[in-house]
Amino acid sequence: MSEKTYLQALNEALRQEMERDGNILILGEDVGRFGGCFGVTQGLFDQFGEDRVKDTPITESVIVGAAAGAAVAGLRPVAELMFVDFIGVAMDQLFNQAAKMRFMFGGKAKVPMTLRMPQGAGIGAAAQHSQSLESWFMNIPGLKVVIPSTPYDAKGLLISAIRDDNPVVFLEHKLLYGVSGEVPDESYAIELGKADIKREGADVTIVATSQMVYAALQAAEKLKADGIEAEVVDPRCLQPLDSATILDSVKKTHALVVAHEAVKFGGPGAEIAALVAEEAVEYLDAPIKRVGAPFCPVPFSPPLEQYYIPNADNIVAAVKSIR
Amino acid sequence: MALSKKTLIHMYETMNKIRLFEQKLQEFFAAGEIPGFVHLYLGEEAVATGACAALTDKDMITSTHRGHGHLLAKGGDLKLMMAEIFGRSTGYCKGKGGSMHIADMDLGILGANGIVGGGGPLACGAALAAKYKKTKEVALCFFGDGASNQGTTQEALNMASAWKLPLVFVNENNGYGISCPQCKSMAVTDIADRAAAYDMPGVVVDGNDVLAVNEAVTEAVKRARNGEGPSLIECKTYRWRGHFEGDACTYRCTEELEAWMAKDPIPRFEAKLIESKTLSRKDAEKIKADIAKAVDEAVAFAKESPMPETSALMDDVYA
Amino acid sequence: MSTVAILANPSSGKDIRRLVAHGSVFDNQEKVRMVRRLILGLERSGATRILYMPDGYGIVPRALNAISPSIPVEAVEMPIRNNQTDTSIAAGVMETLGAQCLVVLGGDGTSRAACKGSVAVPLLPLSTGTNNVFPLMGEATVAGLAAGLVATGRLPREDCCYRSCMFDILLDGEVVDLALVDAAVYDDVFLASRAIWQIDKVPQLFLTRCGASSIGLSAIGGQLRSIRPEEPRGLALRLGEGSPVTVTAVIAPGMFADVPVRSITEMAPGEIFCVDVSPGLIAVDGEREVEIPRGSRAAVRLNTQGPLVVDVERTMAAARENGLFVNRHNRKEPA
Repeated sequence: MSEKTYLQALNEALRQEMERDGNILILGEDVGRFGGCFGVTQGLFDQFGEDRVKDTPITESVIVGAAAGAAVAGLRPVAELMFVDFIGVAMDQLFNQAAKMRFMFGGKAKVPMTLRMPQGAGIGAAAQHSQSLESWFMNIPGLKVVIPSTPYDAKGLLISAIRDDNPVVFLEHKLLYGVSGEVPDESYAIELGKADIKREGADVTIVATSQMVYAALQAAEKLKADGIEAEVVDPRCLQPLDSATILDSVKKTHALVVAHEAVKFGGPGAEIAALVAEEAVEYLDAPIKRVGAPFCPVPFSPPLEQYYIPNADNIVAAVKSIR
Repeated sequence: MALSKKTLIHMYETMNKIRLFEQKLQEFFAAGEIPGFVHLYLGEEAVATGACAALTDKDMITSTHRGHGHLLAKGGDLKLMMAEIFGRSTGYCKGKGGSMHIADMDLGILGANGIVGGGGPLACGAALAAKYKKTKEVALCFFGDGASNQGTTQEALNMASAWKLPLVFVNENNGYGISCPQCKSMAVTDIADRAAAYDMPGVVVDGNDVLAVNEAVTEAVKRARNGEGPSLIECKTYRWRGHFEGDACTYRCTEELEAWMAKDPIPRFEAKLIESKTLSRKDAEKIKADIAKAVDEAVAFAKESPMPETSALMDDVYA
Repeated sequence: MSTVAILANPSSGKDIRRLVAHGSVFDNQEKVRMVRRLILGLERSGATRILYMPDGYGIVPRALNAISPSIPVEAVEMPIRNNQTDTSIAAGVMETLGAQCLVVLGGDGTSRAACKGSVAVPLLPLSTGTNNVFPLMGEATVAGLAAGLVATGRLPREDCCYRSCMFDILLDGEVVDLALVDAAVYDDVFLASRAIWQIDKVPQLFLTRCGASSIGLSAIGGQLRSIRPEEPRGLALRLGEGSPVTVTAVIAPGMFADVPVRSITEMAPGEIFCVDVSPGLIAVDGEREVEIPRGSRAAVRLNTQGPLVVDVERTMAAARENGLFVNRHNRKEPA
């Protein structure tokens, strides 16, 4: 066990899996000697060579499609898009091809591929390099959607994503790459679809994803001063979604706030709120509140961007409005 | 390349199999017995047949929305195909895919495809896998004239060439993207011209001549297996039917159709086989009769097969 | 009225030799640019009308998108079948319409197709093909000038043209086809992709011309003898194992073959050479074209009455001799 950044944890997961399984290769723009746009694949080119760490042309459709094609033909590719925003040009290959092959073909095909994509605002990258698009992927049967918040989760979940026989969309957050935490040196897998309770509490459930897990934990500390004990649940995967853990928490706390950086309207919070409304409304003693980004493109200028990104204060306010 | 008698006869059988299969579909679609819609391959039989005859069972293909011919030529099973198109649980995809989504991984059929231009990137992946695993297998991507204008196709051509993938691009140029003639959708007449932009060989062949297609694809496959990279072969052909069954074809004239029907690839090939004494007229008739019987059996199999149970709906969304 | 006809083949330069050899893809856009320059040359030569063969791509109309020649450029009315018969029919139509020179853009095969339609009108073949022995690898603007000078009669034909030999291909005594450069007996029964590159299937080869720098099948003879295009003689070669001589020849772009030559015989005009194979094929000018049905007898005969071919080099030299492009302004001659 040692302290590692989220980025190092991802890098270690890739390295250890590639050492274990010769069928794993990496595809993406500048993932080779350059080490990836944010540095996640640093050193892998030197260790595994250009046959396994492949710099592609700027061709997102073929990056995604070739990963799917190679997967059905027996490899276990890990593809990277520099920014999740670029999935727009490659969406067909992901949602019409990779996601549907197994079902359309009557279970005859296996598509063991992982598509890593950094998302999120906070680095002044503006509207086409800052989005959080998880709700797009959640809505596509056949895809799994993983969205880790901590270095520990990042490593264990990426290992599971790679080993999974389905196309897995793995959504990293740019602002988390530098976050440190304890990460075991050895390889380990975290089952996909298992939420993690990041903080226990009895008075309100805050379901938060990715970067918002940290905002929720900060909010919980502030609320504590006011005598409110928040339970922070990190689903870690949005598909499959660990409904049981969320419902159990709500049954205990009787109040729910959902926080994510994706646009609030039609965001993952809507699904989680609906789940609780359908399955546990009688346990609630207050309305469900959602914290998400406003319904506008991500702005560029720092004050606007900071205002855009949901934060701990927004979560505190949401909790205070029902507690 | 001297083709063996066995290969020649096999190609003759395959072309007839496609022809009779599609004609049967035409009949049953008109009778309202086939759900959804079908895109028939009638008239284009020489392309799939000539191309797939250059492949082994282990080689992989990606197909199109007009894929029945490709699948049959790659060895697809008549009964399983017919049952799938009839929406039955015994079909290739258990009734989950239908006409546009038939696949058979054991035969290297990575799927028909409902998205025009969808196959190129997948074929790159399949070829990449073959190259990486050093299997000497090749991938072959069928795509139409319409698909050649999709960015995915151009991106796939580019990457295949940049990476020297063992990939053969077989363009079926039937002159129309649904109703839109080629002259309205691109400024070139020969899609093969585009190969030059990717530094790969581009060749035009008569797509209604199975031997011309086979010879060109055989050479391209040889190149691919030798690690010399991809090729683009444009096969000029024509679809006899509309884009889909029920298409009134108001966008093209009878004379054009008749001129192409006069170039029907099957009698052309049959005449050569008989003239060269590869096949007797009697054997030709027997082959056709046997195939007609097999197609009828496939229809009977499909019609006797049960529809899928609704309980199977959620199966195979995930592995 | 001096009329020049343009026959530009949209299908040349795209056959399987891009795959089995290293031929260039000759795209139609390049043909458009060549025709554009050709028209400018024709206009300047003094030709008064240009006729052209329509084609599915519209090579000439596209060429006209970027230029506005002062002389009429008109398509002839004819059906387009998108095969080599278009070129043959067009050549015949052009002769009927009084064309005084045919400019043919294509490879050896296209020139051959044109000659099937007419050998009476002077021909200027311009290369846009694969193996080019017959056509000129030259600049289209200059070719346009030369063709125009012949058509207008500004220069006498005998100063500009030579009469090429060709082969008559006979089947059971009847002429069924012709070849301008080479006729190769091919031991197969299927035309398939037409181009030939497998020399081990060629037991007999006939050449109307050959030189040491030839490409294609004539390169085989070209390493042993030299026959100029206008010389009234040909060569008949027998190829195959058991020969004391092997010739290394460039039989297609980027493609060499070591060809065993068993015998080589001079062909005189009118002399008939029998083809030993039946059934089989004869490839004319590099393309499998003539099918020899089982039981039929094929033969090859040298015909000295082939097309009258415009020699651009000689034509332009004659133009210089006649000072056609030199304007004298009564000033002092340059030293």
